[in-house]
Amino acid sequence: MLNIVVCVKAVPDPKEADKIRIDPVTKTLTRADVPLVLNPLDKHAMEAALQLKERFDAHIAVLSMGPPEAGRIVRECLALGADQGVLLCDRAFAGADAYATAYTLAKGIEKIGPYDVVFCGMASSDGSTEWVGPELATFLGVPVVTRVKELVEFGEGWWKVKASLEDGYRLVRVKLPAVLTVTRELNTPRTLSFSGIIKARKKEISEWGVSDLGVPSDLVGLKGSPTIVSRMTTRESKREVEIIGGTREEKAERLVQRLVEAGVI
Amino acid sequence: MGERFLTEIQGLLPRSETFSERCGQRSMENTPGPVWVIAEQIDGRILTVSLQLIGQARKLADELGASVEVVLLGDELDEHPQQLFAAGAARVYLGSDPRLAFYQPELYTEIIVKLAQERQPEMVLIGSTDVGRELAPLVAARLETGLTAHCIDLALDENGVLEQVVPAYGGLISIICPEKRPQMATVARGVFPTPELDESRTGEVILLDVPDELPRRVQTLEIVREEPEGVPLESAPIVVAGGAGVGDLEGWRQIAELAKVLNGALGCTRPAVDEGWAGLETMIGQSGKMVSPELYIGVGLSGEQQHMVGIVGAKVMVAINNDPHAPIFEQVDYGIIDDCREFVPALIDKIREYQAT
Amino acid sequence: MIDFTFTEEQELFRQAAREFAETKIAPRVPEMEETGEVSEEVVKALAEAEMMAITIPEEYGGLGLGYVARLIALEEIARVSVATALMLQVFALGIEPIIRFGTEEQKKKYLPALATGERLATVAVTEPTGGSDPKSGRTSYKKDGDNYIINGRKCFITNSHIADTITVLARDEEDPDAFSTFIVEKGMEGFRPGHKEHKVGMRGCNTGELIFENCRVPSRNLLGAEGKGMRVAMTAISEVGRGGMVGCALGLQAACLEASVEFANERILYGKPISKLQTIQNKLAEMKIDLEAGRLLAYRAAALQDQGVRASNEFAVAKYFTTEAAQKAAKMAVDIHGGYGCMEEYAVSRYWRDAAVLGPSAGTSDIMKVIIARWVLS
Repeated sequence: MLNIVVCVKAVPDPKEADKIRIDPVTKTLTRADVPLVLNPLDKHAMEAALQLKERFDAHIAVLSMGPPEAGRIVRECLALGADQGVLLCDRAFAGADAYATAYTLAKGIEKIGPYDVVFCGMASSDGSTEWVGPELATFLGVPVVTRVKELVEFGEGWWKVKASLEDGYRLVRVKLPAVLTVTRELNTPRTLSFSGIIKARKKEISEWGVSDLGVPSDLVGLKGSPTIVSRMTTRESKREVEIIGGTREEKAERLVQRLVEAGVI
Repeated sequence: MGERFLTEIQGLLPRSETFSERCGQRSMENTPGPVWVIAEQIDGRILTVSLQLIGQARKLADELGASVEVVLLGDELDEHPQQLFAAGAARVYLGSDPRLAFYQPELYTEIIVKLAQERQPEMVLIGSTDVGRELAPLVAARLETGLTAHCIDLALDENGVLEQVVPAYGGLISIICPEKRPQMATVARGVFPTPELDESRTGEVILLDVPDELPRRVQTLEIVREEPEGVPLESAPIVVAGGAGVGDLEGWRQIAELAKVLNGALGCTRPAVDEGWAGLETMIGQSGKMVSPELYIGVGLSGEQQHMVGIVGAKVMVAINNDPHAPIFEQVDYGIIDDCREFVPALIDKIREYQAT
Repeated sequence: MIDFTFTEEQELFRQAAREFAETKIAPRVPEMEETGEVSEEVVKALAEAEMMAITIPEEYGGLGLGYVARLIALEEIARVSVATALMLQVFALGIEPIIRFGTEEQKKKYLPALATGERLATVAVTEPTGGSDPKSGRTSYKKDGDNYIINGRKCFITNSHIADTITVLARDEEDPDAFSTFIVEKGMEGFRPGHKEHKVGMRGCNTGELIFENCRVPSRNLLGAEGKGMRVAMTAISEVGRGGMVGCALGLQAACLEASVEFANERILYGKPISKLQTIQNKLAEMKIDLEAGRLLAYRAAALQDQGVRASNEFAVAKYFTTEAAQKAAKMAVDIHGGYGCMEEYAVSRYWRDAAVLGPSAGTSDIMKVIIARWVLS
């Protein structure tokens, strides 16, 4: 049986995330009521696991580090078809950078048990560093392939995958267990179904904190983060905009005029 | 004075219980460690971003009183250190071996980590490329240090700590790695200027050994690259970029037409990639390409930070959007408030008229 | 006490229904508007998404989720296509009499196929003599050995031409005060759909006439006790039918508000977006007030229904309120859009036409008031 772990993150809904901004006066983040949703790339990670479960015999554990509200995202993954849910939730985990996040997730995965593959979205829509997958693999002591866009061959204890390059791909043979971070191209995620939501009722979500993981609290969260934000500023715009008026034709003509005068066309 | 944090790498180690104050005090007792650039080559050609980082590393190193060292891995690279010296490096660690011809994550990581443990660089800069974005975190995790993505500026703060500036939440955040060393950052091509190459400069070459017994758990079997179409974004003098407001494929064809009639390159924002109108490789912004055109025209996009930081030093910027509230109107020289579906064809006509004269 | 929050599971149902409506129904709307015909793909998509199974008990192949879940699904679907929501709500309306009054054999025979969407359902009560006055109906039946023979015409029947399983109300030829309901199946001798209506709104939802000419129906298709048919039909209509209209109306109200906010933020008059003008803000506020109020009325009635309590009066209040509010919201949305509100490319013009059909469906507003007055005076 294939043991799969999918790492997922609850992020501010990307459609509304631009409501969270740095206030130019206070230089802190404005509060905004943006709902949390499943990180879009993690949907592709989940879909990869679900398709493998349909093809082979597999057990899918979904793991997330986040606030209590992130529990709904874990439940959503159970409704999509995961078997087991784990939420790493503790005040001590807050303020983590990618390093501390990867460390905490690694501890969570070790506690879940043996695994063959860990899927993560390549990056989250907030933060979006792309670091968690590779750092997670390092802490687990397993290999990683980033930006997987196709699963090509499944061997005994190894897989062949295509990893995206900007202008093509690498064909990679990777020994399991391994961490794979995935791109949009890998698959089309399925949508929630009502019966999946009903089946999720019976599935368990465990909530683990610092003491459950058995780690010192200075290795996680803000304390365990090598990087911190030292300040926030707003960008000053150096341009004075001219809104070109008139009828549509006039606007087009005037714009062309300006661009010719500026010597750019 | 703060203390230099010495790291030992053996799996996950407990870190010190007491942290010094997080205002980043540097040790002034010794000369600072070197500023490193992990350079990259593809098919023997050193990437422009690596040269740009060497240029910036030079500035940082001069301020610090440190030297610039570059690590370059690949095969048949005997002639290459010269270009790196010309860009500003004082020393090149060269791994030139058939086994290093293609990026192999475990091998590259092992070589760089062992070397860093030996030489204790103060900072490590890596280009934000396909390889860099995988290699950097692998190295950073092994060295138990911090790593910042999407930097659009690097400067020393008042404590001599590297201030890594990243666009976020409509503004800029400064990230520092106050205690761990090296301080690591990835930077995209085009953020820093390409330095003038001074062919008279020389430096020291140190040849690296390739470790023999390594787990080969990841093997790159094949690399397949496709020929890019049209004008490459990074070097295009005219860039037209489309966003969600373009509406649909028909609208996308219109702005492609606009780019064509101007002989420019066509870029996009994330929503356009999500909709399937354009490929990820044409996305301009924080997680995509940096462009520095003479003329930039943003069509149907709101002017979000993640995209706008991808435009560096454009001479003239234009926005076409039917939402007068769109933040882009504060960041351009000329604004057209109109439905792009109606305006772009009219604009194309006027451009054609002008070109006919 | 009263908890007005949805459970985590209900939030997931809403998310699932919204994702479904936006990805599977929305692309079909232009085609439905154009042809006015039911889209086969939409029916198929509804079946695949298990939408017909929501109210059917698990032992008959349904999801057994109840009426709050049904309302959530209808609201989200109506937000994208009221026509589809109306079609779906009438499937549930046609299914309800069998759940409530069917024998075990009837439930086992019809419900599983209705749950998978293999078969589609409706209810046929209204006749040219009036729907508001169901007792005036002339469609009649008489016993003939082991069968019943039905004669008559039903009109304005939703899903008339696509339904396979129809609950038909008819009066006893011998006893004008006695009504019975029968399950008539597509293809039965003497039964056929007749004239198809071309509606100004709710395009994509089929409405038409059903003709019974010596329609021969086996006696095992009698639904409920003989002579008690009015109760069978009216129970379903007064709770599930009205409840369904509420879902349609709420979705339409939400769509009108969203479209109005988007337009008001973009449209510039006098140098600023019209959302800054108080007269526009008044309309948006009214739409919001009606939406908040409508939701409370709706979910309270549905919650009662889930508890097994009779909620026909509460649904009358909710139906009246939300369908009237939807018509008001559509008019305000069109006003906010100005000239654009009458143009086909703008969704609000469709909302306006759809809203017009909400009123008379499952009981007119005036009839709702009659029922509510009766409730008050009882």
